[in-house]
Amino acid sequence: MLRLRLQWPRLFFLTFLGFHSCRFNGVPAEERLHWRSFLVKLGADNLKHAKNEELFVASHKSVYIVYTVLGDICLYVVGKDEYDELALAEAIFVITGSIKDICKKPPTERTFLDKYGKICLTLDEIVWKGILENTDKERIKRLVRLKPPTEF
Amino acid sequence: MADSSGTTLMDLITADPGPASSASGSTANATPSSATASAAASQSPSVPMTTTSSSSLGKTILGEKKSKRATLMQIQNETISAAKAALQPMKTNIMPQKQKKKPVSYSQLARSIHELAATSDQKSSQKQLVHHVFPKLAVYNSVDPSLAPSLLMLNQQCEDRTVLRYVYYYLARILSDNGAQGLSTGGGIPTPNWDALADIDAVGGVTRADVVPRIIEQLSAEASNVDTEFHARRLQALKALTYAPSSNSDILARLYEIVFGILDKVADTPQKRKKGVFGTKGGDKESIIRSNLQYGALSALRRLPLDPGNPVFLHRAVQGVSFADPIAVRHALEIISELAMKDPYAVAMALGKVVVPGGALQDVLHLHDVLARVALARLCHTVSRARALDERPDIKSQFNSLLYQLLLDPSERVCFEAVLCILGKYDSTERTEERAAGWYRLTREMLKLPENDSKSSKDKSQKTRRPQPLIKLVMRRLESSFRSFSRPVLHAAARVVQEMGKSRAAAFSVGLTDIDEGVSINEFADVFDHCFTSFVPLLLMIGARKASSMSGSTGSKETIASLLASLMEVVRTTVACECVYVRAMVIKALIWMQLPYESFDELESIITSELSDPAWPAALLNDILLTLHARFKATPDMAVTLLEIARIFATKVPGKIDADVLQLLWKTCLVGAGPNGKHTALEAVTIVLDLPPPQPGSPSGVTPVDRVSASDPKSALALQKLVQAAVWFLGENANYAASEYAWESATPPGTALMMLDADKMVAAASSRNPTLAGALTRLQRCAFSGSWEVRIVAAQALTTMAIRSGEPYRLQIYEFLNALAQGGVQSQLSEMHLSNGEDQGASGTGLGVLISPMIKVLDEMYRAQDELIKDIRNHDNTNKEWTDDELKKLYETNEKLLDIVSLFCYVPRAKYLPLGPISAKLIDVYRTKHNITASTGLSDPAVIATGISDLVYESKPAPAESDGLDDDLVNAWAANLGDDGLMGKSAPAMSRVNEFLAGMGTDAPDVDEENIVSRPSVGYDDMWAKTLLESSELEEDARSSGSSSPDSIGSVETSISSHFGGMNYPSLFSSKPTSYGTSQTSERSGGNRYGSSSSIYEGASSPIREEPPSYASSVMQRHDSFENPMAAPESSSFESEDESRRNTSGNPQFGSALYDFTAGGDDELSLTSGEEVEIEYEVDGWFYVKKKRPGRDGKLAGLVPVLYVKPR
Repeated sequence: MLRLRLQWPRLFFLTFLGFHSCRFNGVPAEERLHWRSFLVKLGADNLKHAKNEELFVASHKSVYIVYTVLGDICLYVVGKDEYDELALAEAIFVITGSIKDICKKPPTERTFLDKYGKICLTLDEIVWKGILENTDKERIKRLVRLKPPTEF
Repeated sequence: MADSSGTTLMDLITADPGPASSASGSTANATPSSATASAAASQSPSVPMTTTSSSSLGKTILGEKKSKRATLMQIQNETISAAKAALQPMKTNIMPQKQKKKPVSYSQLARSIHELAATSDQKSSQKQLVHHVFPKLAVYNSVDPSLAPSLLMLNQQCEDRTVLRYVYYYLARILSDNGAQGLSTGGGIPTPNWDALADIDAVGGVTRADVVPRIIEQLSAEASNVDTEFHARRLQALKALTYAPSSNSDILARLYEIVFGILDKVADTPQKRKKGVFGTKGGDKESIIRSNLQYGALSALRRLPLDPGNPVFLHRAVQGVSFADPIAVRHALEIISELAMKDPYAVAMALGKVVVPGGALQDVLHLHDVLARVALARLCHTVSRARALDERPDIKSQFNSLLYQLLLDPSERVCFEAVLCILGKYDSTERTEERAAGWYRLTREMLKLPENDSKSSKDKSQKTRRPQPLIKLVMRRLESSFRSFSRPVLHAAARVVQEMGKSRAAAFSVGLTDIDEGVSINEFADVFDHCFTSFVPLLLMIGARKASSMSGSTGSKETIASLLASLMEVVRTTVACECVYVRAMVIKALIWMQLPYESFDELESIITSELSDPAWPAALLNDILLTLHARFKATPDMAVTLLEIARIFATKVPGKIDADVLQLLWKTCLVGAGPNGKHTALEAVTIVLDLPPPQPGSPSGVTPVDRVSASDPKSALALQKLVQAAVWFLGENANYAASEYAWESATPPGTALMMLDADKMVAAASSRNPTLAGALTRLQRCAFSGSWEVRIVAAQALTTMAIRSGEPYRLQIYEFLNALAQGGVQSQLSEMHLSNGEDQGASGTGLGVLISPMIKVLDEMYRAQDELIKDIRNHDNTNKEWTDDELKKLYETNEKLLDIVSLFCYVPRAKYLPLGPISAKLIDVYRTKHNITASTGLSDPAVIATGISDLVYESKPAPAESDGLDDDLVNAWAANLGDDGLMGKSAPAMSRVNEFLAGMGTDAPDVDEENIVSRPSVGYDDMWAKTLLESSELEEDARSSGSSSPDSIGSVETSISSHFGGMNYPSLFSSKPTSYGTSQTSERSGGNRYGSSSSIYEGASSPIREEPPSYASSVMQRHDSFENPMAAPESSSFESEDESRRNTSGNPQFGSALYDFTAGGDDELSLTSGEEVEIEYEVDGWFYVKKKRPGRDGKLAGLVPVLYVKPR
């Protein structure tokens, strides 16, 4: 679901959605390296001068990739089936929004790593076993604080 | 830079878990070297270390030694020791909590968890956990199971919410399967395989298997806790539980029990859903808690495997549609739509109440959750197209109307999904009819909002109250999407247009005669095409038409064609988008929307200008080529257009496209183009040959289509390969394209021997068959003035054609080859073409050595023909009957020549007469006398050809494989297809669309890597091998599957091995030994796919089904036939008789095992020496044998190496 890699010049943050065949972790291990190099290349080609949160799209066969830059972080979301470009764009909005909320501003590597634990929890609420779960920011915040999704 | 990023990460990890203030300030004491090392660790493929579950400690350390940094080793060692240390919590507890300021390793993190868990009631330790320990732990790839006891303890004792949240998070990670493989959700710094570590620890380590039951125990207790204050934790516990391995049926049963238990409590209570509750706070506490629990339960249910037969499952899911929590509704809908795929009838019945106007499903339309509406679209699509519900048009129309209403959805995601559903694109298993019906629906039907849709507050609804044609809605929507600036939106819109194109193509090919796009959309003909009665309940439309004297304002002149035209205009402008992927999608859309009779100039120019852009990655271009391929399959009429486009690819970006993808396209187009198109198709291919050689350093910029832009050596080389491919292709297929075969030649044999002079011959030839003559001219030119590779291939191609063609072509080529060998004519011909400056060699062409065996064959043939005619004359003159001996001699000559000829290219043995047509009668006489079936000659020498050609053309094994290829090809063509029987079959292209589309959907992400990461350089041999795979599928059986699917361009090695490994021998060979071509039956369509996987294998299987000669004999023979090609057939003809006898009698062959053999694969069979076996058949050096009793491995039948068995 989520990968953190050190990658020049930015951190590499990757989420898989909708890979039902391997429900736990997106893609099987042997494919992951391929995915990584593919995505890294994609990023190197396109993200050099990208603006923050400018969405990029790519596809391969029926797998869609939406990626963006947020501060020092490269954010990739890969999906298939019902998670097409548009759904992924939505997912990436949620993720960037939450990360910005946590880090207060577009994160540097430093702040991102400082808040890494919380970011993991947040992502855990957004993506649950490869299926997009919560998209409402308030709700995500509540769940991360172990509060019920709807407050009374 | 890398260092700095690494440092920050290590800071975080290594920061001391001491005072909170040090968290951000302690960067100084992190060692940069270790930081980079860990960065390297996270980047380097450390998978072998972490994935193999059987890896021992020694192995692990070995893996580390390979990495250059010693520090990395240190870190890893610490990790390992942490795992060990964690096994003895007592010891770690002794250690003082704040020892000193030192980088924190995993082991220390683990230790502090144990310690802090013990003192979790103190505020300070909670703080430490939350701020230091847990976040840092998250950086590691996985968490070791030995932490579980402490986590569970924390879970029970700690009150702090944040700590608890982390605890659930880590428990879930331990539960999740991936922990066992050392790979988990975490990414980050790789961790060793904890279970393996625990296993080797003699003291008794903690493995996942130990802790998982305990975790599940505790979590399920929590999940069943009914305390209202506890319910947030209950949800988290439930969530963590869903990560438990679903392979374990006990755990699964338990989970179902818990989930349904919760639902039993909360789902059945009457829903007093107030409008406006969604997403907002409000309502009483009790109902909120209930809805929270509903949410948790349904979310968990969504993660559990479907249980289609279970009525409770469906019942709960349907209840979920009315829940208050939007996400719960989404999950419910997703579950239902998945269930609907399996059992639409049950789902439709269960949904009976909620689908009616005013029901819960209608509310979903306004639900603020995009994915819920997407799921609704899918559900509606599935139900409204279900055959099972044909009896209930009312239900279908209800769902259909819901689906149409989704077209008005404010979210593009939902709207596009609805469009795709209407178009019939839903999953990979779509059929052409469905597609065609989809196009019909889209262009013909109306959206009519239900009467009581009063609560719709969107202002748009006022406008759309009147029935609207779907097509207009869709067009409007798409056009506005194309004006968007967001790349994903553009990409998605282009994709939708592409799908529209697919459906339209399907509609045209199915022959929807009433698709008259010129018709005004407001004047739909009443004629309801009867072939669609089963598909579309057009109730809506009928209702709609009553009211549709229609908005005169929107211009009743609009036609579908005009709408499409304006849309396509917008699409074309999108090519300007800077994102390559968007552009690729747009081009694909354009290709699909292209109709055969439309001018494609625009498309061509777009593609041409696009290809000049160096930004295109190779994978994407090949993707587009495959789109061309698919497009062709949908509409065979477009062959020429598509070939034109493919040619642009070949000339513009030769370095980027895969030669075999291109060849595949050529081939399909050639076969599919039909009798009239064949010539044009072949022409289109050969244009590649007419290209001038790449001019290095040609000025970039706008180059015309026909100019090759191969400025760098790499693409020049690639172009060279393409030319080679084209030449080869020409040689193999010219006869097919020209419908000219020696064995079907109408020319009387006598003319062959009238020695016309060359000029007249050429003139005669070209007048009779311009296709073949043109191909010949091209090949001749190539044989003179290509690079040496091209020349070699050209010479081979010419020989192939000489052998296959009748006179006068054979003679023409013969003369030419002779000239070529001597280099005499070069001066005449070389002016025709630019010389590429290469040294032509002493003989002028440098081909003398190579050509001489070819000429020798032709010599032999002509000499034998001469003799035959002399003999015939003698017999005629003396009025003598042919004696048996004479006949035998003749027959033997015939067989001998056949064998030699077969070394060069495939010819159908049964029909091919190397001695000329006059010999047919005599040979027939001999055959009938001696009861020799024509079809079973010696095993096809294509088998042997590998060896021969290896020797002849030392550097290039390619031609051998090509033999195997046209084996298939020509057989099919010559023997039973006539010339175009293939296309004469009932719409084979349609079935191909299906297959393609089916193949299209299966694209797991695994296939991409070949293209993306490091495209394996496609060797020459590979190329043939691949065409081999593909061509046979394409041409042989119209029903072939997946040939065009992107997967099939995967590496040959794998496909061969997988085909070979997984093939179903018995089914392939149990088919009767009919003569090859005549059985175009379905059983073969399955078998052939495998049969073509290797040329050798194929050769063995084709003419003789049951018992090809043993391995040894063929080896021997191939040496013979090389050293003395004339002498070899002595033995072989004998053998062939033998073979034929065996075949006809059908006796099983027995043998005994010579040695012990241990099976190396699933399909192999272990042998004990001396064992008696029955040999079924031989395959590529293997016998498929049966035993009377199961052997060591308990199997009765399987493959064994030939040499291990001694046949009797």
